[in-house]
Amino acid sequence: MGGIRVGKPDIRLDVSTHVPGIHEGNKGPYYKQPGHHEDGTSDARRSTGILWKKHNAIMKIMPNISPG
Amino acid sequence: MTATEPRSSARQEQGQLVEMAWDPITRIIGNLGIYTTIDFQNRQVATCHSTSSLFRGYSVFMKGKDPRDAGFITTRICGICGDNHTTCSHYAQQMAYGAKPPPLAEAIVNLGEAAEYMFDHTIFQDNMVFVDFCEQMVKETNPSVLQRAETTEAPNGHIHGYRTIAEIMRAFNPFEGEVYKQALQVSRVTREMFCLMEGRHVHPSTMYPGGVGTMPEPTTFTDYLSRLVGILDFVKKAVAMNDDVFDFFYEALPGYEEVGRRRVLLGCWGSWQNPDFCDYRYENMNEWGKAMHVTPGIIVDGRLVTNNLVDINLGMRILLGSSFYDDWVNEEPFVTHDPLGNPVDMRHPWNQTTVPVPQKRDFDGNYSWVMSPRWFDGTDHLALDTGGGPFARLWSTALSGLVKDNPYVTSTGSSVQISLPKSDQLPEMTLEWKIPHDKEGKPLSNALERDRARPYFVAYSAAMAFFFLERAMEHVRAGETKVFTDFEVPDEAVGCGFHEAVRGVLSHHMVIKDGKIANYHPYPPTPWNASPRDSYGTPGPYEDAVQDTPIFEENGPENFKGVDIMRTVRSFDPCLPCGVHMYLGEGNELKRMHSPMFGATND
Repeated sequence: MGGIRVGKPDIRLDVSTHVPGIHEGNKGPYYKQPGHHEDGTSDARRSTGILWKKHNAIMKIMPNISPG
Repeated sequence: MTATEPRSSARQEQGQLVEMAWDPITRIIGNLGIYTTIDFQNRQVATCHSTSSLFRGYSVFMKGKDPRDAGFITTRICGICGDNHTTCSHYAQQMAYGAKPPPLAEAIVNLGEAAEYMFDHTIFQDNMVFVDFCEQMVKETNPSVLQRAETTEAPNGHIHGYRTIAEIMRAFNPFEGEVYKQALQVSRVTREMFCLMEGRHVHPSTMYPGGVGTMPEPTTFTDYLSRLVGILDFVKKAVAMNDDVFDFFYEALPGYEEVGRRRVLLGCWGSWQNPDFCDYRYENMNEWGKAMHVTPGIIVDGRLVTNNLVDINLGMRILLGSSFYDDWVNEEPFVTHDPLGNPVDMRHPWNQTTVPVPQKRDFDGNYSWVMSPRWFDGTDHLALDTGGGPFARLWSTALSGLVKDNPYVTSTGSSVQISLPKSDQLPEMTLEWKIPHDKEGKPLSNALERDRARPYFVAYSAAMAFFFLERAMEHVRAGETKVFTDFEVPDEAVGCGFHEAVRGVLSHHMVIKDGKIANYHPYPPTPWNASPRDSYGTPGPYEDAVQDTPIFEENGPENFKGVDIMRTVRSFDPCLPCGVHMYLGEGNELKRMHSPMFGATND
């Protein structure tokens, strides 16, 4: 900060917003994300853990679009 | 000296100059102040200094942080275009991490950014800029012009529904006018569109480096589409209305071309990545830069100097000049060569160290917290401006002629054609923005043309949004719903992101060492536009545009509003105009609430 006198920081500068042990949504590997497939498609497990198989597309030719 | 040539009219001696200042002029980062001396006898601005009294220091406190946090911290730089910073920061991070988001994620980011452009340009143009062109303002500053507007037919009346120019001006009146109120509605709807894609406005919650967290359901896109179709009538009418009003000003006030005019020195860093080309590798940056849906470019005197992002990156120089900082040239450089092996200058953002030195403001010495970013073309340090954003984007896209691969926007080499589909009231329309020229055929960069480009870019964004929606829905229909990709943060890396904030060029430069940020420098549009005189004495764009500008306002010094100067400064889109604090020489100080409250009487 040049010649400006500044106070003592309350926390370390490099304290991350990430707390170790907490699941990181964007952290790989991709296959560990439930409902996401290696080929870039996904199924209903992506959106819900409750009876998720019943929320999948009903025919194989249909794209599997996860419910919101 | 790369500034605009002084205009020919003779300057009067110092005694007849009146000092006038507006400080602060806006609510943006860096509390902008404009200090001028005005020659009332010649009806001209004699000198201008633009100053900022606020130090932010993002580059100081980013050091040592986790690089993945950069997007979430830098978004807080701005309260209206924060998402542009998030996006740009993620572009820089993706380069550093070697991550390429899936195409659907790019489409979602592009849709969010398109909504942001539509929102921000609308609220700024219709609720802020038009206050300077509304009936009440024109009545107070140029009554004869209003009189003429009452009897002048609006050429595009069949599109927007207003018979005369004065009727349009009445619709611009704050709080009461129809356009003012409609614009508030439209800016709400466009923000909803934004939130569908990026989770929250204006600091996105569903954007990460490597992709997005947005759930790509079919309804995410159809909700966006229905809102987009709903605002199309407004967009089409806005373009027609702007053309009518600005053409009328040229006609009613001959010579108005000179207000806010400066040499054509424009920069555009490109917007909306094309996932078919963009892999975020520095080595391929020229190729994927040119594939962007708004082409990057540097334009000098109407000619394209380069549209290579690598050249643009290497030419950036941060000069100190008149700002409150110590030099860093004797420090150790962070990056001596870019990933292609090109040498990187010590004044490049990758090597910059911010050393603030607070001091008293002195217009003969240092007077601003804004540094002076310049672009070095090999001989000169060019004081590029962004023309408020849309102006440079349209000009650069038009000149490069590279945007052709979609059914909605075509760049022709001298213009940009924008096709919008049928909407509720109006049929399918093709709008064309042409590179502006003055009566002698010289390229023209002035206040009115900067303002005129804005609604055209809203139309551009709306048209491109249709294209991105189609791309996104193709992926969803094929079941390709992947929206994020894995990455690891490297111990050592460099990255740079080039994007367009709403009001112009935006770059983020990052250096990672030991897995932490060693250096981080965001360069948003306002440092380019509001920069003070640099070490070579070249004034910044605001100063250059206001200096020598003719005054058309009919008021004298006692009730001077400075509307021509305000139109000039606001044409660069310095965010939200707020309280204006006016100083009329000799200790006669006036304070009055400006723009947002203009028209609301409290007596």
